[in-house]
Amino acid sequence: MRLAALGCALLLAACATLAPNPPLAKYEPKAGYDFERLQRGAENTDELFVILAFSGGGTRAAALAYGVLEALRDTPIEWRGRRRALLDEVDVISSISGGSFPAAYYALRGRQIFEEFPERFLYRPVQSELVRQAFSPANWFKLLGSDYGRSDLAAEYYHREVFGGASYADVIARGTRPFVILNATDMTTGAQFPFIQDQFDPMCADLAGVPVARAAAASSAFPGGLTALTFRNYAGTCGYRHPAWVELALKDHGSRVNMRRTARAENRVALADPGRPYLHLTDGGVADNIGLRGPLAALTSVNHPWSVLRMMNERRIQKLVVIVVNAANSPATRRDQSASVPSLVDTVTAAATVPLDNYSFETLELLRSTVAELNHEPGALRIELYPVEVAFEYLQPAEERAWFKNLPTSFELPRETVDRLRAAGRRLLAEDPEFQKLLKTLRAQP
Amino acid sequence: MEYVKVTFPTRRRVYIDEEANGYTNRVLRVDAGTHRFDLGEGDSYRPRSRTVTVKDTSPEKPKRIAFRRKKA
Repeated sequence: MRLAALGCALLLAACATLAPNPPLAKYEPKAGYDFERLQRGAENTDELFVILAFSGGGTRAAALAYGVLEALRDTPIEWRGRRRALLDEVDVISSISGGSFPAAYYALRGRQIFEEFPERFLYRPVQSELVRQAFSPANWFKLLGSDYGRSDLAAEYYHREVFGGASYADVIARGTRPFVILNATDMTTGAQFPFIQDQFDPMCADLAGVPVARAAAASSAFPGGLTALTFRNYAGTCGYRHPAWVELALKDHGSRVNMRRTARAENRVALADPGRPYLHLTDGGVADNIGLRGPLAALTSVNHPWSVLRMMNERRIQKLVVIVVNAANSPATRRDQSASVPSLVDTVTAAATVPLDNYSFETLELLRSTVAELNHEPGALRIELYPVEVAFEYLQPAEERAWFKNLPTSFELPRETVDRLRAAGRRLLAEDPEFQKLLKTLRAQP
Repeated sequence: MEYVKVTFPTRRRVYIDEEANGYTNRVLRVDAGTHRFDLGEGDSYRPRSRTVTVKDTSPEKPKRIAFRRKKA
């Protein structure tokens, strides 16, 4: 009898999985979760355009990003003759892994995040709870299946415990900026995979039916600890056709005139391939751990789903603010104190993290050079640019900096650590020279 | 970053790769590569579109892309 009851429970548990992402009945350009379809909001202007990029780094990243959101909420500005909070001017948030949790929560709940998110996520022992789930007999059947992994289990946990069962239909229903983009990585192409309808269109898939938790889980599917998440690709079933620029960019392949643009076109073609019925998405940090590549493409290309360059051509933007919240750590090591050959784990860890950190460094350099290039434009074209960087490396004194840089990447940190991270986010933002320059022009008063 | 100036006798909207992108007779920013330029709906201008590879430009020396009124 007991065995039968256990069997039933296991079977029920096995069935209680999130449904696969649904197909898109008919392709319509710029439908669904699309930047241009979102209302700006009463307090938001295009003239002051604010982009936030939240990096990966588990709860460390989530708490730092949350601290920055709190600081923006508490920063009054005066712009176009009206007082408001700088948070009300945020137009886009691009996020990776741990940073995707506050980003997604803000997309869903707006300012309710400040009442709910700390207890729902930041202070919660998420990692222990995920491990407990993985070892629970109720989940064994599911985890034995070849099409179900630990990230599916994590997604179900986030769906239930963090995001309250919400899907992208709920985000779309809110209908206002910021446009929040959670990023994962397409394992096969290595390309960044943003959770926006423009990305799902070539797959003839409907983002509205995707639980926000699955996007957050894909964005934070740290290789090794968590598995990739599988998404269905229905390419060829909805009448999708590529935007005009794709064909032109593909033809540029031979001349190599702009390989970044050509690569984006090729990725789009790969998504629209009917011979690829499944996509496997892993942590967004594999493609870009600071969430800045999408914003950089938007800043430098007119062929982008939320092209900032196009808005600049339309003269809609006067001040452009890019706030990068980078929770990169750099744990101290005693490796060089000994002649011993580093262990396999040490070597593999270095092989996994060093390229990622180097790429993040180059991405930030690309932002700086893009800003420098735009700053050299003549007066008629010029806009004001404010690249702001919130990162532990700017903390003083050195002991405090070292303490933050030694924090582990985990979905579980002590409450006091989370509070220190929130405070560090506020402080680093306030101390950034570009942020101070911005506030001076916005006549903010405490 | 590359720069173009789409010229026409009057002020009209410019479409780059079928997306609205500012107005004629102004310097516009564009990423390097081949783009299709047109002035939108209506049959009042020629050619109907121009496909141009944009590279090696500057704000001071943008690529000039000319449209003219259609002869009556």
